Amino acid sequence: MSLTALSFTLLFVIGTMLISIWQKLGLEKDIAIGTVRSAVQLLAVGYVLQFIFHAEHMLFVILIIIFMIGVASWNAAKRGKGLPGLLWRIAVAISASEMLMMGILLGLHIIEATPQYIIPISGMTIGSAMVVSGLFINQFKHEVQQNKGEIETLLSLGATAKQAIQTVRTRAVKFSMIPTIDGMKTVGLVQLPGMMTGMIIAGANPVIAVRYQILIVFSFTSSAAITSILLSVFIYRLFFTAGLQLKVPAINK
Amino acid sequence: MNSSFEIHHLAKTHWDAGDRPSKYLFSNLNAALLGPERIAVIGASGQGKSTLLRMLALLDAPDEGDLILDGVSFRAMSSRQWRTAVTYVAQQAVMLPGSVEDNLRLTSKLHGTPYNSGLAAKLIEELGLHYLDLSKNAGDCSGGEKQRISLIRSLLLRPQILLLDEITASLDMNSSQLVEALLLKRHREEGTSFLWVTHDLEQARRISSRTWVMSQGSLQDQQSDVLFKEPVAELARKYIRSMEGGDTNEPNGT
Repeated sequence: MSLTALSFTLLFVIGTMLISIWQKLGLEKDIAIGTVRSAVQLLAVGYVLQFIFHAEHMLFVILIIIFMIGVASWNAAKRGKGLPGLLWRIAVAISASEMLMMGILLGLHIIEATPQYIIPISGMTIGSAMVVSGLFINQFKHEVQQNKGEIETLLSLGATAKQAIQTVRTRAVKFSMIPTIDGMKTVGLVQLPGMMTGMIIAGANPVIAVRYQILIVFSFTSSAAITSILLSVFIYRLFFTAGLQLKVPAINK
Repeated sequence: MNSSFEIHHLAKTHWDAGDRPSKYLFSNLNAALLGPERIAVIGASGQGKSTLLRMLALLDAPDEGDLILDGVSFRAMSSRQWRTAVTYVAQQAVMLPGSVEDNLRLTSKLHGTPYNSGLAAKLIEELGLHYLDLSKNAGDCSGGEKQRISLIRSLLLRPQILLLDEITASLDMNSSQLVEALLLKRHREEGTSFLWVTHDLEQARRISSRTWVMSQGSLQDQQSDVLFKEPVAELARKYIRSMEGGDTNEPNGT
């Protein structure tokens, strides 16, 4: 696809902006910023990846994965205002799940240990972990706010923080997994996933593309589960003071 | 059980928008229980009675002052340990997910102790809940049943001091009398103390040996037999109704 052809796709964006102005949705500014950002980010990443693939040095791969985890954690932590120390906890949860995934994929020689495999698959699992983390934190806060009476009843009967928040915690973990599990059930029937579509358009055999997509779906699900469970273990204590009083963070909109 | 419980210079602060202390809900509260006692806590709405009970259960942290149980400050004890000795029963009984029996077994599950089914059966009987199917979903019980189950659940911890926040407000007169009789019996036989917040002055007179009157951000500790020499209607006018609607929310402004 030539750059001229690519620039024609801006017509979609312009059309959307005109609709927004016509319907007074007030989205023009956000759409403009989003358009510029996505174009610049993706083009830059294209060049960075090209450089890393040529350099074939693992240090660059590790750096880019650390960068991905940093951005993902920062983004997910925005959901948790009022919970101090959240950022590094999310970073540890996402890193642990990424290391586990890569450990299995590389250790069992499921994928080749080259930047071409490691970086895109890491990006996808980290991205999925980020979405799950954000959902989980939002839901956890919501559940704590809704179930203050239950948690304090348990506390007043001498429960530990972990005992008092247990049912709320498992509900939030389950909730955060719903989109991933639903996605797993309908994949291919409702939408063809991005990576598979990309491979097919670029000329790959659909059967090969599907194999990689299955790999991605499985990694997504387990990284989502691992991240959500680890995060729940890392952060439940943030809802209590040192003296075991329940601390409900303010709802942020 | 011969326990002592002391409240020293306890204060609850209101926080303003800038997270600075703005004024006291109450301050410099001092009181003590020397041995098993029956205390009624009365006062108009908004005087901080519930807040005081929550603070005594460490569900809210004291902003100033100290609480001492058997010579040990709450700061030197884990909150868990404290709450198994000084146990709060909320006005709104919350049932945990599961059956009535799950709720009754809760404290033994939390603390890894054997379930005292004999005591549970006795308390169920005494509170007039013998007809209740224990396998029933606790959430489906009536408000009055939940309130009594919640009291039994707390009593199974065998606390030294019970903090009771208007626990008979949702009960009919008969159940209410059963609760009073049970708590008086526990006091007599087991030496269980209670601090009972109530708006019902007749009830306060029936159940207490002393009465803590909360008003204007402070606490007066009075002998119930002296206090209740005055007609209840007169006391209500003085301590409960006269406050309501008045400027009671700005005691001891600082």
